[in-house]
Amino acid sequence: MTAMSEIPLPRAAKRVAPWWLVRHETMLAAILLVALVVLGALNNRFLTVDNLLNQGRLMTEVGLIALPMTFIIITGGIDLSVGSTVGLCAILLGYSWKTFDFPLPLAIVFSLLVGAFAGFFNGLVITRLKVPPLIMTIATLALYRGLAEGISQAHSVRGYPDWFYFTGQSNLFGVPAQLWLLVIAIVIAGVALDRTTFGRTLYAIGNNETAARFSGLAVDRVKLIIYTLSGFMAGLSGYVLVSRVTTTRSDMGIGYELDVIAAVVLGGTSIFGGVGTIWGAVVGLVMIQLLKDGLALTGVKGDATIIVIGAVLILSTLVASSLQKRRDSGG
Amino acid sequence: MTATTFPRAEADPRRLLRAFASQEALLAIAVVGLAIVVGLDNPRFLATRNISDVLLGNAYVAVAAVGMSMVIVSGNIDISVGALIGVLATISGTLAVDGAPIFITWMAPLVVGVIIMALQGAVVAYLRIPAIVVTLGMLSILKGGLISVTGGKWITDLPENFHLADIELFGIVPMPVFLMIVATILAAFWMRYSAAGRAIYAVGGNAEAARLCGISQRRTIVMVFALHGFFAGIAALLFATELRVIQSTVPPNLELTIITASVVGGVSILGGVGTVVGSTLAAVLIAEIASALVFIDVSPYWIRAVQGVLILATVIADILRRRRMAGV
Amino acid sequence: MKLGLATALLSATLLAGTAYAAEKRWDGADDLPVNPLACAAGEAAAAPAAKPYDGGQPTNAPDKAGKPISLVDVPKLIGIGYFNATSKGMQDTAKELGNVTVKTDGPTEAKIDEQIKFIDNYITSGVDGVLFAANDPVAIAPVLRKALSKGIHVIGYDANSTPDAREWFVNQAEFNGIGKAMIDSLAKEVGEDKGFAIVTSTFTTPNQARWIAEMWAYAQKCHPKLKWLETVEAQEDNVLSFNQATTLINKYGDRLSGLFGMTSVATPASAEAVTKAKLCGKVAVVGLATPNAMKPYVNADCVKSVVLWNPVDLGYAATYVMRAAVDGKLKPGATSVEAGKLGKLSVVNGSEILLGPPFIFTKANVKDFDF
Repeated sequence: MTAMSEIPLPRAAKRVAPWWLVRHETMLAAILLVALVVLGALNNRFLTVDNLLNQGRLMTEVGLIALPMTFIIITGGIDLSVGSTVGLCAILLGYSWKTFDFPLPLAIVFSLLVGAFAGFFNGLVITRLKVPPLIMTIATLALYRGLAEGISQAHSVRGYPDWFYFTGQSNLFGVPAQLWLLVIAIVIAGVALDRTTFGRTLYAIGNNETAARFSGLAVDRVKLIIYTLSGFMAGLSGYVLVSRVTTTRSDMGIGYELDVIAAVVLGGTSIFGGVGTIWGAVVGLVMIQLLKDGLALTGVKGDATIIVIGAVLILSTLVASSLQKRRDSGG
Repeated sequence: MTATTFPRAEADPRRLLRAFASQEALLAIAVVGLAIVVGLDNPRFLATRNISDVLLGNAYVAVAAVGMSMVIVSGNIDISVGALIGVLATISGTLAVDGAPIFITWMAPLVVGVIIMALQGAVVAYLRIPAIVVTLGMLSILKGGLISVTGGKWITDLPENFHLADIELFGIVPMPVFLMIVATILAAFWMRYSAAGRAIYAVGGNAEAARLCGISQRRTIVMVFALHGFFAGIAALLFATELRVIQSTVPPNLELTIITASVVGGVSILGGVGTVVGSTLAAVLIAEIASALVFIDVSPYWIRAVQGVLILATVIADILRRRRMAGV
Repeated sequence: MKLGLATALLSATLLAGTAYAAEKRWDGADDLPVNPLACAAGEAAAAPAAKPYDGGQPTNAPDKAGKPISLVDVPKLIGIGYFNATSKGMQDTAKELGNVTVKTDGPTEAKIDEQIKFIDNYITSGVDGVLFAANDPVAIAPVLRKALSKGIHVIGYDANSTPDAREWFVNQAEFNGIGKAMIDSLAKEVGEDKGFAIVTSTFTTPNQARWIAEMWAYAQKCHPKLKWLETVEAQEDNVLSFNQATTLINKYGDRLSGLFGMTSVATPASAEAVTKAKLCGKVAVVGLATPNAMKPYVNADCVKSVVLWNPVDLGYAATYVMRAAVDGKLKPGATSVEAGKLGKLSVVNGSEILLGPPFIFTKANVKDFDF
């Protein structure tokens, strides 16, 4: 798994194995399909276009952050500060509009820039001072949330004009508006990871950072880019969230980091780096969201649902890794 | 994760020792320095009563951070510990109200903690699932399970003799502080001088080399998690016996506080480096900061931001110091 | 260089912090208008002019008058004593009426977007009515409007939403009533010329912020000599509340004569802190709390008065109100509603139904309650 020559090719291409064992994500998608059919049979309100689109609306905020998180985890890093960045960006969106009298479009751009800067700051300290990502982002998890609380003084900002709610609440061509954002972001991220030098560099860093450095890859610059991207997407997620729930509070996005990481690792991205796909993260994301929804509609209560989600997370990783082992020994 | 960031310097045992010493020294200076600065502003901060209260109210974090540090040194992490402490405290309290002998109510969280954590360790070690995945899943399971079972009903009417945390040794040292100090010292000696303790560093620092030295990586990981469960059990006991009520819910964000104490204490998240003395000092420092910010009248809206800055500053100072020691 | 940056950031935050400390209201108070009650006991300030009905109405709700209905109750979070009690009240009503089933479900942490997802799911699964206690009055409004638009009845209790997003709100006690009860209790216990501090959950929790604002207004009007020292946050966390209360006691020493607990978690923890500091009788604890958690302190004479409505009654009333709304007995413009054993409850503020004045538990009556 460490040989550099392997990295540029799609991982599945060279394996000698039955096609259905080939990829973790494919397995997961199959499990998801079975779960959908079972839950759909138990409740006739689950597998309706309306419900599925609505679930898409609800998962957009976490989904937007899951994409750059996949990049980061592939390089062997992590970003725990995303939830706090969502809160900080949401607060600055409202605050700059209400207190600095920014026009609302400018306030949106400003909040996205703040998000990007928050991510950039993480990336800068991680690459320049060599602070491990987990430690750096635990510190900024506290810092960014603290800034959101301090700036807002615990007051929320409400009363946005109607057009502002379009992204969060309206439909575009029959599909929730924010879902388009997510789909576009997924396509771009997927192509970037699978088909570009940038994507290959991510895998190279995750597989062996020293080797990547010695082979002349711009390791630090790429890392800086993905952490900045992570902050930016957290800002975008904050905007979508404010637009959906129509108010701004400093406690928005609390706990998003764990939801995002759960989706990404469920999708087969290895926390040790070097392995993972956008497609997997998307399947993981959809799986968690639809399981929660399907169970709720079938009459399972919230506390039992999170037990099931926890068990699914462990078991599906277990199944995937045992398949991987068989594949590795068989191939 | 890749191992290129800074383990070079630690390869030399003498330097390693020096790095430990000064990491702890840095924290100790911070703890004492902060106390003096805040004390100059408001002398009440230095009252014995306040110092003892700060230690007393946060000893459980320090004890849990001891176990967490071992887990992190072995190259793993545990996100479920906050939820586990909630569950163990509830078990202990429920037994006490049901009239079980006090000794049993005190031992139960330790035993259950060891079992649950050893189980997680076994999944990590033998089934090769990353610890972050296992413990993230376990977090969900424990949290949901606790609410399903208790419905969040508070445990009240605890018997008087249940309150371990109320015992004061020699009339002045509160039990939680005593346990915090003893746990830290024993764990520090054990990790530094026993073969099993050294094995933790070996597994975390270089698993392959550890294997070649005849250390069973798997057994070491299970042992580390089991020990972590033991310390989580003690922490839960302190947590449960401090007040007259047990909430029987999961304390919010407790796992983050514990992990922060460990990493600020100088435990490298890459594994292989760090001491429990550092993590205990860090836990004390974090608690002290929280108290100090109230004493020096920082606007409460800004308290969390200031805490974030201080943690960031500690971490960066530590990294810079290590780089200097590495002779860059 | 980085350390310099960190120091600069730190001093900037500190400066900004002290600049804001000069704000006029107590920390944790919101900035909505306040309406303090008159200082004398009993009488309301001036009965506000009757407001016209300002709630929303479901569109094309199926006529289920007298027929069995199934309801879902989505509180701020599940697994805490307070909402267990409201949930019990709802079950009591369901048993009494016989044609109502209620299920309580919700997030395990008080998060707005989790709560929205729960309500959204229940709209999809098709219930006849939603009972809610909002984590945020504005954030929850869109999903409640969606429920109304699908013909689902929506009734709030404990924590309101914007009025047009639900039909009625069952108000446990008016904010200014709580403010008055809290401040009066403290002044009675410690005297007029004393200092006190507040332990709250978070500054963003709407109900707590409202109460603190009303306490501030009432204290200014009726007990101007009482000195507010500080408000601290303690989440809904037992041990953190205890630590924060202890810090306040150690910091202010003799200057601190009273502690307000703004949540059912903060109050017992504050009482514990006072007990541990051996300051019973010197530092008064007044607060919102459930009687079970407070019994040890009340019985030990460490706490004289605990302010609360009966949450079981609150859930009980909310379900009766829902039934009346479904049956068409409670229409916009009504002035009262029949609520089983609670009798007639009156409509206030346009579309709110008032449970009654806040209840004060003392040593004499605390043993009569079990929740």
